[in-house]
Amino acid sequence: MKFISSDAIPELLEALSASSVVWAPRELTGSGGTVMFERWRTGDPIDLEHFSSLSAKDVVLPRTEKLFGYTYAFGGGLGGAFGNGAPAGEQLVIEPAEPAPPAVLFGARACDAKALDVLDALFNNPEGEAYNDPQYQSRRKSLTVITLACTTCDEACFCSSFGNGTSEKAGSDIIVYPVEGGLLAEAVSSRGEALLAEPIFEESEQAPPPLAETARIEGLERLEEKLPRLFDDMDFWQEISERCTSCGFCTYGCPTCYCFNIHDEMRSDREGERQRSWDACMFALYTQETSGHNPRPTLAHRYRNRINHKFSYYPENQGKILCTGCGRCIRGCPAGLDIRDVLRAALEEAPREP
Amino acid sequence: MSTSIPQAGIKASEPLRPEPATVLEVIAETANIKTFRIAFDDPALAESFSFLPGQIGQLSILGAGESTFAISSAPSQKGRFDFSVMKTGVVTSAIHELSAGDRIAVRAPMGCAFPTDDWKGKNVVLVGGGIGMAPLRSLLFYLLDHRDDYGELTLVYGARTPEDLCFASDRRDWEGRADLDFAATIDTACTGWDGCVGLVPSVVEEKAPSPENAVAVTCGPPIMIRYALQSLDKMGFREERVYTTLERRMKCGIGLCGRCNLGPKYVCTDGPVFSLAELRELPDEL
Repeated sequence: MKFISSDAIPELLEALSASSVVWAPRELTGSGGTVMFERWRTGDPIDLEHFSSLSAKDVVLPRTEKLFGYTYAFGGGLGGAFGNGAPAGEQLVIEPAEPAPPAVLFGARACDAKALDVLDALFNNPEGEAYNDPQYQSRRKSLTVITLACTTCDEACFCSSFGNGTSEKAGSDIIVYPVEGGLLAEAVSSRGEALLAEPIFEESEQAPPPLAETARIEGLERLEEKLPRLFDDMDFWQEISERCTSCGFCTYGCPTCYCFNIHDEMRSDREGERQRSWDACMFALYTQETSGHNPRPTLAHRYRNRINHKFSYYPENQGKILCTGCGRCIRGCPAGLDIRDVLRAALEEAPREP
Repeated sequence: MSTSIPQAGIKASEPLRPEPATVLEVIAETANIKTFRIAFDDPALAESFSFLPGQIGQLSILGAGESTFAISSAPSQKGRFDFSVMKTGVVTSAIHELSAGDRIAVRAPMGCAFPTDDWKGKNVVLVGGGIGMAPLRSLLFYLLDHRDDYGELTLVYGARTPEDLCFASDRRDWEGRADLDFAATIDTACTGWDGCVGLVPSVVEEKAPSPENAVAVTCGPPIMIRYALQSLDKMGFREERVYTTLERRMKCGIGLCGRCNLGPKYVCTDGPVFSLAELRELPDEL
């Protein structure tokens, strides 16, 4: 194990900032205790005590990002006359987005890091085997994840339901453990090992502290089979989604919710950019078609899809459950919905007779 | 259904970035449907571009947005391709503003095609309604281009009124062919129409093509599809021999953005072509 003193952490972040964007948890000024992963700048405080409100997924899936820019060579642009004499190929120019700089995610929790590993299954495939997401890939490949092991937890945490719980190492390059006066650091990947070889880290014989035991729901992997049998039981879905207000927080806060929208933003009448932004399957417009038809017309339909996607469809397609038990959707739900109640009910529920 | 991998026309390195293309010709089909004949601006891409019937593409009017459509032209037609677009929303209205020479941006082809190789030696019955004829037009061109590989070909294509029928010049060709049993039908009789009158499913039942060694393909408004499937079932077409092509709201077209799923399957990559037997295995969330 290595050790870094609390006093040396700003120095470490400063050094990392020279070549990377550094993301670290910080209490937002004037927010009354809201902790978020923010781009760290010299002098910024960091908060390694409280749990962040939103996950760290911005580091690989920014809430809004440019996909490419476009320029119409002549005025008119959208809806105007494009064919006004300029040579073919010069009337409409499409330019790729600038590559994202390397990043370091400092102070992620095991559930945040594992979420990256879960998302990699969809977004980071071997070349030529499936569609890939080049922007996710380039961010992911240049990302260093320094995970803060959880020695405490709260009642919303349920990461123990998924494999290794608080001792999960998937997705991390380094695990740091809070100890008296600083952090013990353990390398998980070769990238992490290289970083820990820096002289700012001292050798240490200290043993890491005991980690928190979070709530555990047994048998979540059985939902892949069970949920399809509950699909047509609309009374069940109606009942469990009754209090939902369709605010979308559960998807925005979630470290594994990745669904996105694509939209164009004009800068002037002749240029603009295509962007993608976080979307939420709990919104009616998510699947609403131009004709007015909506395959998921009610909250019950949308909630059913959300639960099925996480615990049945994604496991079937990608071999991993699309949830890491971080509990953010439970802490942040304004209606007090607890996804664990839904999961337990689904595990117990026998399909009702039609 | 099969796993899709990047294909010509969609850059594996940038699958969400469309390629600039030019509208060569605009054909007004009905009051609200136009066919756009398009070619990629990049000569190498225009040359290498190929697709199979049933595949889809995304058209962008940059600034207005992007929408998904079936490719409606013959796969054998090199260097250009058609999309037939009904004007319904923001993007389709912007597309309808285009004239020959105008720029558009295209991502194509995407999705899985009709399994035409599996149909070799079989009779094929096509049942289309309204704008749903677009993918069937591409399919019919393909079958006619490979005419010797298939048995009897039947097409029933319907719309509400004669003015709502697309592809007038193609229909004239199809009517004249001895190797295609073709009926265009309208919902209710009107002056000036001496063709078939009646809803598409009833006309299919009247024609009564044999289900023996045959496949059926239907595409059209949901209500038409529902009754056409009932008719085909009544006529003895088995579920694994009946195909349709689905539409959903789509954004990315490559199975990432999340919204077009039917259970664990994504219409954009696992579809849009599905057999009825495949659909029966999926959650009913159409």
